[in-house]
Amino acid sequence: MGDRPLAEDDRVAQAKQGDTRAYGTLVEEHQTIAFRTAYLITGSAADAEDAVQEAFVKAYRALGRFRQGAPFRPWLLSIVANEARNRRRSAGRRERLALRAAEDPLSGGAVPSPEAALLDAEAREELLAAVNELREDDRLAIACRYFLGLSEEETATTLGWRRGTVKSRTSRALDRLRERMGVER
Amino acid sequence: MTELERSLRLLGEALAFPEAPDVSEAVQRRLVDIRPQRRRPSRRTLVLAFAALAVAVGAVMAVPPARTAVLELFGLRGATVQRVESLPPAPDPAPSGLLLGDPLPVGEGRPWVKSPNVLVPSALGRPDAAYAAREPYGLRLTLVYGPGDGVPRSQYTGVGILVTEFDGAIDTRYLDKMVGAGSSVEQLTVGGNRALWLEGGPHFVVFRTADGRIGEDVGRLAGNTLLVENGELLVRIEGEIDRERAIEIAESLEP
Repeated sequence: MGDRPLAEDDRVAQAKQGDTRAYGTLVEEHQTIAFRTAYLITGSAADAEDAVQEAFVKAYRALGRFRQGAPFRPWLLSIVANEARNRRRSAGRRERLALRAAEDPLSGGAVPSPEAALLDAEAREELLAAVNELREDDRLAIACRYFLGLSEEETATTLGWRRGTVKSRTSRALDRLRERMGVER
Repeated sequence: MTELERSLRLLGEALAFPEAPDVSEAVQRRLVDIRPQRRRPSRRTLVLAFAALAVAVGAVMAVPPARTAVLELFGLRGATVQRVESLPPAPDPAPSGLLLGDPLPVGEGRPWVKSPNVLVPSALGRPDAAYAAREPYGLRLTLVYGPGDGVPRSQYTGVGILVTEFDGAIDTRYLDKMVGAGSSVEQLTVGGNRALWLEGGPHFVVFRTADGRIGEDVGRLAGNTLLVENGELLVRIEGEIDRERAIEIAESLEP
């Protein structure tokens, strides 16, 4: 055994036994995507932070129900998404999250790939506006798949939808975006 | 991947998410007194336990037991489902027997009821009628959907689909259901929430009265039902629909 970090499966198994340090490494690893998922749903950084903290505590408590060997991330994100929805609901919030593109991509937290520069600022704003106009479910499907980079399967688990639902909502959303942007198929 | 999908990827990289706060210390502090709960028995285990129990009950109870002898118990927050030997006698399924409360206007748009906790299933849209009953624990709201669109009239409720939301019932063990041998009870997760799906023969549903007694006169027979925890709400969806449809409706609940 060297310094190599334990595989996720092993750390989940240890956490199940009550090893909070092993669980801590899982928190550190997944907290950014957990926060972004919650933010996409709540539209508020403070609510998203609350939701993420609560979700990590609930997930720890519920670890006994987690099937060993299953992917941890989507399971965790489903708890995060649920907490986030509860917060949005109790805040009675209906206004939608207006995502915006970073003014200067370099200062926006995530470091963009050189390719990102290929999508010029104007096209970016236009596409973003179109995404923001989608209905809530469709926007979430697009955000999970393309902004968070979740697979179809992960998106389904995270949002508690069936895989077919993710597929149909994504393709409906892509159609709308194409219409809106006047993009050829 | 199409051009559009590639553009969306690139857009994702350029999005201004707020910086993710580090919650690890706060989480660690809260874990001190918690241990992961042990795994709940799987459905298979429950079925096996039920089989064993049924054998035991059959052996011991040569004298017919009380009709509510509990053979199996499933729980959600705010609700229990018991498997019993036989159901209480069926009352007439008169609509008045549904005890839905006071009618609410169902006009254009929402909200017809001002409560931040009301959810509407977008899969069903605007209900044909809505009722609210003020209960000691909180609000019970029922959305009524007529038959049609592939949904038959239920012989138990006289309508198509009933969606009932119990606000504040979560901690009160408010709803009791009794199922007989002809029904199956399945534990599910719907949208990350715990849920129970009751299908097959009718089951008996009982709402507890204010003082915690079970009022038998408010019990009635019910058809296929999905019970889902959703935030502070317990949601019950009843109708002659299949599991997939019920899940779809539950998934589409929106504030």
